[in-house]
Amino acid sequence: MDDKSFAYRAKKASGIAMMLAFLAFAVLPILWVLILSLRPATALFEPIWESPTNLTFDNFRGIADSGFPRALLNSFLTAGIATILSMIVGVPAAFALAKSRLRGKFVASWVLLLLRMAPPVGFVIPLFLIYINAGLIDTYPGLIMAYMTLTLPLVVWSMWTTFAQIPNELIESALMDGASLAKALVLVVIPAARPGVVAAAILGFLIAWNDFFFALIITRGSTVTAPVSIMNFISSDSVDWGSIAVAAICVTLPIIPVMVIANRYIVQSLSGAVKG
Amino acid sequence: MTTKAAGRASAESTRAYRNMLLPALIAVTAFGIVPLMGMFALSLTDYNLIKGSSGHFGLDNFFRLWQDRRFVNSVYVLAALSLLGVAFQVVLGTAVAVGLQKIVPKWKFARSLFLAPYAVPHIAVALVWLSIFTPTLSPINAFFDLFGITVPTMLTSQNGAIAAIVIADTWATYPFVMLLILAALNGISDDLDEASALDGASRIQSFFYITLPLLFPALLMVTLFRFIDTLKHFPLIFVMTKGGPGRSTQATNFYGYVQTFQNSNVSYGAAIAVFLFVFAAIVSFYVARLNVRLTNG
Repeated sequence: MDDKSFAYRAKKASGIAMMLAFLAFAVLPILWVLILSLRPATALFEPIWESPTNLTFDNFRGIADSGFPRALLNSFLTAGIATILSMIVGVPAAFALAKSRLRGKFVASWVLLLLRMAPPVGFVIPLFLIYINAGLIDTYPGLIMAYMTLTLPLVVWSMWTTFAQIPNELIESALMDGASLAKALVLVVIPAARPGVVAAAILGFLIAWNDFFFALIITRGSTVTAPVSIMNFISSDSVDWGSIAVAAICVTLPIIPVMVIANRYIVQSLSGAVKG
Repeated sequence: MTTKAAGRASAESTRAYRNMLLPALIAVTAFGIVPLMGMFALSLTDYNLIKGSSGHFGLDNFFRLWQDRRFVNSVYVLAALSLLGVAFQVVLGTAVAVGLQKIVPKWKFARSLFLAPYAVPHIAVALVWLSIFTPTLSPINAFFDLFGITVPTMLTSQNGAIAAIVIADTWATYPFVMLLILAALNGISDDLDEASALDGASRIQSFFYITLPLLFPALLMVTLFRFIDTLKHFPLIFVMTKGGPGRSTQATNFYGYVQTFQNSNVSYGAAIAVFLFVFAAIVSFYVARLNVRLTNG
C-alpha cells in the first residue's frame, strides 16, 4: 500500500515537474524581454543577477520620440479598417453560404481555404506590380486592400461555421413575423451568434496586426506599420536592443486584453472548425 | 401558407441570399482571385523588374525550378522546418492541454500564462528569440558561464540555425494547438476515463487507448492547419538568420522573396509561389473535405 502510494506520488510529482518546465518555457522569454526593456544601454551585456537594480525607463522615453508611435497608429488604422470592411462584406456572405440552398458551396469553401492558405509571396508579387502602376505603394488604401486579402477569407470562413450552428427555426420564425431576410440577420441571427462575431472580428484584426510581409513590401515611409518599423532599430553595425524590447512589448500589449476578453469566444469559434 | 406563396417566398429569399453574397464575391475576386491569376500569369513569362520582359510565354520557369539547386535546397529546408516544427508544436501543445486537464486541473491561472506566447506578434517572436540566441546578450549563455559551460552558438551553424527557428516557432504556436486540443478534450466525457479506471486501466493506458483516439480528428485538423502555416515561414527567417548561414535556412517562401525582390526575377519568384500554392491547395483540399465531414457529424 505504501509502495503504491509512493509510486503514485512520484508519478504525480514528475507530472507537475513536467508542467512547471513547460510553464518556464512559455513564460521566461517574456520575462526576459521585460528585463531587457528596462536595462540601461550601459548594463545591457551584464547578466541581470550581477546588477538586478540597475533598471531605467530610458528605453521607453527614447521610443516615444522615434517614428514608432506613428507606426503603431498606422497598424491600428489599417488593421482596424480592413477588419471592419471585411465584417461588413463578409458576414452577410457567410450567412448566405451557411443558410441558403445556393449551389457550389463546396467550391466556395475550397476557394476560401485556398485564399487563406496561399503563400503571401504569391499575392504580393502581382499586388506589388499593380500598386506600382496604380500609385498605391505606401498609401493607406493600398495597405488596407492588401490586408483584406488576409482578413476577408478568414472572416467568411469562421462566420460560416458559426452561422451553421444557428438553428433554422430561429430564422424561419423571424421571417414568419414579416421580417425581411436582411432584417432577420441583423436583428436575430447576429445577436444570437455574438461570440462567433466577436471571435471573427478579433481573429481578422490579429492577422492584419501581425502582418510583417505585406507591409515590408508595399510600405515605404509614411504608412510603415509597427512590425516593419521595429526593424529600424537594427542597423548594419549596431542593434538597439533596449528599443527593440520596448517595441516588442508595444506591439504585444494591445493584444493581451483582447486575448483575455475574447479567449472564450476564440476557443468556441476555433473549436467550431474542429467539432462543428 | 399556400404552396404558391411558399414558392414565391423561397424565390425571394434566394434573391436576398444572392444579394448578400454578391459584395463578398466581388471583393474576394478583386483581392484574392485577381492577384492569384496574376501570379499564375507572371509565372509563365520572363518578366524582370529591371530588364522587363521579352514577351516569351511558356513553362520555362517550372523546368528551371528542378535544375535550380538553390530551389531544391529550399524545399529540403522547408521540409525540415515544417516537419520538425509541427511535430514539436503538436506534441507540446497536446501535452500541455492534457496536463492542464488531468495533472494540474486546479492551475486556472496557468492557462493564460500558457496562452501568452500566442499573443506575441511574429516579428516580436523573431526578435525575442534573436536576442536569446545572441551569445553576448543571452541570459542562457550568461547562466551557463557561471558553471564554466560554453553554450554552442546556434545561429552560426547549419543545424543550430534550423533548431533555433524550430524552437522559436514552437514557442509561438504551440498555444494554438493547446487551445484546440483543450476544446476537444472538453467534449470528451470524464466517465470514459473513470470506466476504464474501474476496468483496471492505468492513467497512461486510458490516455493512449481512450483519450488519444477520441482526439484524433482534432489532432489531424490542427496538424494540417499548422503544416500549411509553416509553408509561409517568413519573419523568423528574415529576422533571425536571413536564410543563413549559407543557405541553410533559406526555405521556399523566403527563397521566392529573395528571387523576386532582391534579384528582381519577378516571374521566377511567381513560379516558386505557384509551386507552394499547388502544394497548399492539395493539403487544403483535404482540410475542406475533413471539415465538411466533421461538421456534418
